[in-house]
Amino acid sequence: MELLVEGVGHAFGALPVLEGVDLEVRAGEILSLIGPSGCGKSTLLAIMGGLLRPTRGRVAARGTPPAGCLNPFTYVFQDFALLPWRTVAGNVALALEHHPLSRAERRERVAAALSTIGLAEFARTYPGRLSGGMRQRVGIARALVVRPAVLLLDEPLSALDAQTRELLIEEFLALWQRDRTTAVHITHNLGEALRLADRIVVLSRRPGRIKATVAVDVPREGRTRPEAAGRIAALHAVLWDLLREEARAAARELAA
Amino acid sequence: MSEARSVPFRGGGFVLRPRRGLSLAALAALLAAWQAATGSGWANPLFLPAPTTVAATLWELAASGALTEHLLASARRVALGWTLGTAAGLAVGLAMGIFSAARAAGLPLVSAIFPIPKIAVLPLFILWFGIGEPSKVATIAAGVFFPTVIAAFSGVDAVPRTLVRMGQSFGMPAWAIVAKIVVPGALPTVLAGFRISVAIAIILVVAAEMIGADAGLGAFVLTAGNLMRTDQLLAGVVVLSALGLAAAGLVSAAERLLLRWR
Amino acid sequence: MKSRLATGALAALLLLTAGAAAEPVSVAALRLSSSGPLFIAEEAGFFRGEGLEVTFRFFTAAQPVAVAVTTGDADFGVTGLTAGFYNLAGKGALKIIAAQSADVPGFHLSACLATPRAWDGGLRGLADFPGRSVGITQTGSTFHYMIGLLARKQGFDLARVRLVPLQSIPNMVSAFRGGQVDALILPSSVALPMLAREEAKLLGWVGDATPWQLGALFTSGRTAAERRPLVARFVRAYRRGAAAYHAAFNAVDAAGRPVPGPGHDAFLAILAKYTQQPAEQIRTGLPWVDPDGRLDVGDIHDQVAWWQAQKLVDPGVDAGLILDLGFVEGHRNVPR
Repeated sequence: MELLVEGVGHAFGALPVLEGVDLEVRAGEILSLIGPSGCGKSTLLAIMGGLLRPTRGRVAARGTPPAGCLNPFTYVFQDFALLPWRTVAGNVALALEHHPLSRAERRERVAAALSTIGLAEFARTYPGRLSGGMRQRVGIARALVVRPAVLLLDEPLSALDAQTRELLIEEFLALWQRDRTTAVHITHNLGEALRLADRIVVLSRRPGRIKATVAVDVPREGRTRPEAAGRIAALHAVLWDLLREEARAAARELAA
Repeated sequence: MSEARSVPFRGGGFVLRPRRGLSLAALAALLAAWQAATGSGWANPLFLPAPTTVAATLWELAASGALTEHLLASARRVALGWTLGTAAGLAVGLAMGIFSAARAAGLPLVSAIFPIPKIAVLPLFILWFGIGEPSKVATIAAGVFFPTVIAAFSGVDAVPRTLVRMGQSFGMPAWAIVAKIVVPGALPTVLAGFRISVAIAIILVVAAEMIGADAGLGAFVLTAGNLMRTDQLLAGVVVLSALGLAAAGLVSAAERLLLRWR
Repeated sequence: MKSRLATGALAALLLLTAGAAAEPVSVAALRLSSSGPLFIAEEAGFFRGEGLEVTFRFFTAAQPVAVAVTTGDADFGVTGLTAGFYNLAGKGALKIIAAQSADVPGFHLSACLATPRAWDGGLRGLADFPGRSVGITQTGSTFHYMIGLLARKQGFDLARVRLVPLQSIPNMVSAFRGGQVDALILPSSVALPMLAREEAKLLGWVGDATPWQLGALFTSGRTAAERRPLVARFVRAYRRGAAAYHAAFNAVDAAGRPVPGPGHDAFLAILAKYTQQPAEQIRTGLPWVDPDGRLDVGDIHDQVAWWQAQKLVDPGVDAGLILDLGFVEGHRNVPR
């Protein structure tokens, strides 16, 4: 499915956080949104998934969701948003319980989601006993179990250490290759965006506007190879040039 | 280069470890000091009967069956009053945690009525509920209700907002969000509130049994006080405190059962 | 002129030395008319005449009065006799030394009241209590004793009356108005307005039906043993107060009805001051007090025996040992 953001603006009371955002998320692409703190990235993502009503503009979807889709717009959260009183399997099952599925069907889907991300042996474990990386794997399994049409990834790796982040990027991409689900990914980490995205949208400081869109013109699977290093470094430099002044100004605004 | 000296250690203390033996020893030391004070004549046995006297009185009460009668009468009132007060308190407190209108309407009322000493309005309770069981149960229920309301809505407040957003993002219906996210999320705070409310229920059983009770630990303690039978008074207090320990034990068991995930 | 000045100075000096020599004593009491002899003795200067400087410590219930004397917070106490009092006294803590008020015929101190509904249901007299409920303050209180007295006098089994402890007189009135209890015994100051408003039906007066020694003056066992001269001086002044009280308030006409005696209005003003009640209200419920502070000794023995039979006073308590009859002559009804 593709997602169309049309003239979206948003204000919290008198404080404008987004202004005139027009954006098209193409079917089957991963779009990363980057921008300085407080630029309205998370607000935009909440609007895209229908968790927040924009003060201006609208978000529309085009296309048909994949077969067996229970929740077209599905989030993965920065802080994992797991219920600590439910086991790993229980957290994944939560996404299915209010849908008319047979018990066996539900159990089957949960088991499949857990095994694709290597959590089968932790099915009965409580999240409190898991590392951050394992917790986010549960978050991803919970998102995949509903067979989403659009994945909305809200800084999914920001709470994790660098090595875990690297592992999860690899695992996520391996999974993503199977269904090529349309995904919007928010981050403040340029490297992460350069690993995942087909295109990277740079937002200005508050109120957030689209400042530039940069296509990552290196095949995804080849981006960590030494031959790609030069191109990736060049893209990094371009993005950082776009961001630097915004980030500096935003930091000063926050201090004031 | 001068000689290398080891860096002094500064990290000890400030860690609480369970020391079961010490708790028992403190209790034993208290009892021994108490016995010594009364035995030596330093404390007037009229004002402070010896622990052995209290134990003997307790034994007599148990042997005569009076203890069981009083204990059952009070335990029944505590159980019934606590259950009613808790049920009502949870319903109101959860509503106040979830609905802004309920919060806006309820909070000033709760803040205004909670501090009213229930004993001061006993004559009103007599007029409303009579002098039988209803007024006693109502007194306990009223005392339990308010702290439970506060624990319930504080518990809802303590549920992270992102969990509710997560539920919404998966299209969970409102009732499912309440039942599967808000209520279980509030549970730790609510159970902590139970610790306080069971203690309040036992405190109030004494007040409740001031009015027209012929059996019950509160009535027994009050009568012992009226009759200046200090040994019976202390025996009753010991049983009340044992009842409090038992109730706190039940809450701990409930916590272990319901909060296994912690 | 000079000599008059000197006389004045001498008089002042005498007064000062008398004042300096005055021994301080404290008395625990309730703000009730039944403590009237004390208030009169203080205001009329009888205590000062004995060289005593009295300070009052007021309480709101009988129990704390007895406790205050036991702990030494007060030297003397005046209050109603309860089971709790006897239990304290029985451990050697308290000695009864003179009488306070008594319920006697003709003096309407305590009223037996029925609710209109219970009245309609057949509670018409003092013998009709079995099967009904009676509100009292506490187990072991004077109210409890009075209903026990009625049971003995009327020959019914107290076990067949449901006694409902309600802790305080306001609670008792509340329960009575709500029909939660069928009957009450109440002080006349509370009962008379209720009768006037027809909220209650009068079954009888305790004094008419079952006279008894309601209250007493007491001191600690230690004071009675170690400071006898002081106790004697205090009791002397107290008896002068009792005599004045009796003359003013307990005079009766030929038909046995109370009539105002000498000093009535002045003493009533004193009582009004100490009880903090309007004189008009006190006038209706002035208790009878023996003019000499003489106790109905036999009644006190009866009280202890009855409480013991109810298992509310320890069996070891000996009525003879809690009485010190050496300070007042002519105690009545002394058992041989």
